[in-house]
Amino acid sequence: MTVTALVLGPLVIGLLLYLVPREHGGIARLVAVAVGAISFGLALYDPAAGDASVRWLSRPFAASFHLGFGPVSYWIVVLLALATFGAALAVTGPRSRALAAQLLILQGAMNGVFLAKDLLLFALFWDLMLIPVFLVLVEFAPHGRTAWKYLIYNLAGGLALLLATAAFGYLATTTDVIGKSLPAGTIGSVWGAWIFAGFAFAFLIKTPVFPFHTWMPETYAELPAPMVAVVSAVQSKAGLYGFLIVGLPFLAPEMARAQTLMFALGAIALIYGALASLVERDAKRVVAYSSLSHLGLIVLAVFSGSNLAIAGAVVYIVAHGLFSAVLFLALGAVEQREETRDLARLGGLGARNPKLAGALMLGALAALGLPGLAGFSGEILILTGLYRAGFVWPALVALVAVVLASAYMLRLFQGIMNGPEVPDLPERRDMTWTEALAIAPLVAGFVLLGINPAPLVARAAALAQPAPPALVSVRAVPEDSHAAGAR
Amino acid sequence: MLPALANIPTGADYAALLPAFVVAVTPLLILFVDLFYRESGPWRRVVAVGLALVWLIVAGALQAGQYPHDYVAFGGAFVQGGFSIVLSEIVIVATIATLLLSIGVGRDDQVAGTTSLLLWSASGAMLMSGASNLMTVFLGLELLSLALYCLCAMSTRRTARESALKYLILSSMASGFLLYGSALLFGATGSVAFAALASATVTPLLALGAGLFMVGLAFKLSLVPFHAWTPDVYEGAPLPVTAFMSIVTKAGTLAVLARFAYAALPSEHRAAVLLPLWVLAALSMLVGNLAALAQTDMKRLLAYSGIAQVGYIVTAFAGTSALGLRYAILYLAGYTFMNLGAFAVVALMARDGDAIVGLPRFAGLAARRPWLAAAMTLFLIGLAGLPPTIGFTAKILILTTTLGAGYAWLAGTLILGTAISAYVYLKIVRAMFARVDAAHVRDERSPNVLPWVAVAVCAVATVVLGLQPLTPSNILPLVK
Repeated sequence: MTVTALVLGPLVIGLLLYLVPREHGGIARLVAVAVGAISFGLALYDPAAGDASVRWLSRPFAASFHLGFGPVSYWIVVLLALATFGAALAVTGPRSRALAAQLLILQGAMNGVFLAKDLLLFALFWDLMLIPVFLVLVEFAPHGRTAWKYLIYNLAGGLALLLATAAFGYLATTTDVIGKSLPAGTIGSVWGAWIFAGFAFAFLIKTPVFPFHTWMPETYAELPAPMVAVVSAVQSKAGLYGFLIVGLPFLAPEMARAQTLMFALGAIALIYGALASLVERDAKRVVAYSSLSHLGLIVLAVFSGSNLAIAGAVVYIVAHGLFSAVLFLALGAVEQREETRDLARLGGLGARNPKLAGALMLGALAALGLPGLAGFSGEILILTGLYRAGFVWPALVALVAVVLASAYMLRLFQGIMNGPEVPDLPERRDMTWTEALAIAPLVAGFVLLGINPAPLVARAAALAQPAPPALVSVRAVPEDSHAAGAR
Repeated sequence: MLPALANIPTGADYAALLPAFVVAVTPLLILFVDLFYRESGPWRRVVAVGLALVWLIVAGALQAGQYPHDYVAFGGAFVQGGFSIVLSEIVIVATIATLLLSIGVGRDDQVAGTTSLLLWSASGAMLMSGASNLMTVFLGLELLSLALYCLCAMSTRRTARESALKYLILSSMASGFLLYGSALLFGATGSVAFAALASATVTPLLALGAGLFMVGLAFKLSLVPFHAWTPDVYEGAPLPVTAFMSIVTKAGTLAVLARFAYAALPSEHRAAVLLPLWVLAALSMLVGNLAALAQTDMKRLLAYSGIAQVGYIVTAFAGTSALGLRYAILYLAGYTFMNLGAFAVVALMARDGDAIVGLPRFAGLAARRPWLAAAMTLFLIGLAGLPPTIGFTAKILILTTTLGAGYAWLAGTLILGTAISAYVYLKIVRAMFARVDAAHVRDERSPNVLPWVAVAVCAVATVVLGLQPLTPSNILPLVK
């Protein structure tokens, strides 16, 4: 019941918000804030909620509308509720109704992605979550092509996912598999390679990972701040989540075989993202490229096959969600005051906006991995895990990128808040209480998680339970042991 | 019983044809009633369309009542079963939707005529849905087509005549192919029954006959490269007729194609004989969607989109599995609702229900007419294969059976075509939701509100079928 409400509630309420007269954007916004808060409360109140399942297809493979909390997804759903709450509070402007409605639709669709226990349902919500972002880009982005770029990249991924799901369903005769395990040899190595390629293509685009990242900086820069906070916090985690719940349990041999390639892509994303963040002038793009870098680190962790690194990946997935939402919401507040995001134009804002400077500072510190905040907990687990598993070079590359993170995050902060005040920029009052309220829960989240990441690590350990071969050691699986199962 | 008497039709034989018969006879009633009107008036229109609607619903109910039965009527000329019944119902639904769209179109004194032609055409398609010998196929096809030639010309627009003439010539040519192929098939086997073809030995004559027969069907289905007539004819014909054609010709012809592919070929040669058909399907999915990219008129766009969508449906036949056939029917049913819904939206955007509606007219529609834009968005994302619609569900079912049958290349082409089509359909969604200066957009509204009924029903069906994909269970055997 809880899980169904978490998915259908926001979707239905989001659609109904379009019945609110256009000029009453404030009401729509309040409703969205309430839905965010209620989802948060619901998830916290009922963490052991049972699954909800209704049969969908029985042929050619069994599929169900099967929703339920999983080891990773629980915390992502909590994160999404917080991010939606903050984002809805930050909604302003003449077209608030559409933005608030689309935020809720996005929340519902993404809750569906993370709560789906059925691969086909996962694919359904995966495609569905494109639509609200596309519509918001159409309505709000200054350049028409941004919406297309977002859509074409992500839809290409979605279709590859669909094809892979169809093949998976055909071989396994069911897609109701998430959180369960399949008999060995169900997929086989011939189909396995193709199926993995399909899933990986979708996941890499969505994350995004170099070389599929080119849609990301534009999309992040042109989405309104509330929407981009949610997209960067949660939607970008869908691909990584996919690797964890589809790749590790069902396609372990293929994951192991792709390890070198993925390490290379992850490392390139790490360094390239960091370097691009150092030179970008648009503040939102700085954070966008920093995401590319941070998510590259998680890709390394996911493909390392080390339990510790994977636990770190889960912590970092949530941590990155929290601090990137804070950063984008703070940047949204900056843009509202100064009407520009150009680091060359901005400066000295901190003198008259100390609270806003504090919020941005907290986000930046978490992002650069200050010990005591969540970013650090994730990074240290990942780096230790990589090193212990014998991946010295990837660990070193990651370390370099972590150091670079301090450079670009401080550059971002100093460029906006420090230095002499720019006289020709507008001067507006400091952070309002609603803006503070939007950011506060997220900050509290990454402080708590930084002090005690244990609940997430415990959940991540549970990830290893249902599918033993995946996490004992991905690398230990001989490559030809599944060949016999090829169909 | 004497062997000779076995072929004498019984009451049960006629009962199998009763729904098609009802649809074919209703026009006589409509025309008779229409004789008593001295002057034109809206009543004349209402009575003609009302009679047609009532009797279509009766026919639909009769047809549905026969659902669980398999019956081979007239010694194998007409096979009734889940397959034919579902296709007939699709035809009936499409005809009802067409009538709702057509209320405001044309002159009052023509309506009885056009309605009658529409019903005759529909009865032809219903006949095709159960036709299982070459003669019934041709009879149904000509009944379907001849009425459509006239309907295409029923518009004051100058291009209508051109459209009708083009349709007449090209479609007659296709019928020629079909007829010639049938003659060769008969020559090769000595029988007109599909069942006899399945057990025949393959000779060059049979192969040539089968080839010509399939070319004829491909013409009618507008599979690439036999598609060139479709956009021009769709553009010139009155809007309701275009909507009708886009569903009913497909339903009728797909029924024949399915019977031919599944039941009328020797099973050991089936894969080889049908291979060209899969190639045509792949070409249709690519060319149809690519050509649709460049269209700016809604009717032409939907014409090219239809070419691609037929490709998806024919893809489901690949490997000729029973499940594939069920999913083909499911996709056709879904396409019926999505496509008719889109046509109904277009009809609501034209003052007389039949103007040329170009893409610029969709600019900013979401702000002006939010309900219409919401419905159109649903239909378009369904056509693009996005959730939560039948377009998504049926597509993944088709993909699975195609992969399972070993046609991975066809599944890959389907995905590629879908990717291209996303741009085609979402281009319109984008136009609707983009911010525009309202002063520059012509905002026409149709005074006829009946298309709203079609829009509502189609929208609900698009979503409900996607969540609960019902497929007919008793589709086989197709012939006896």
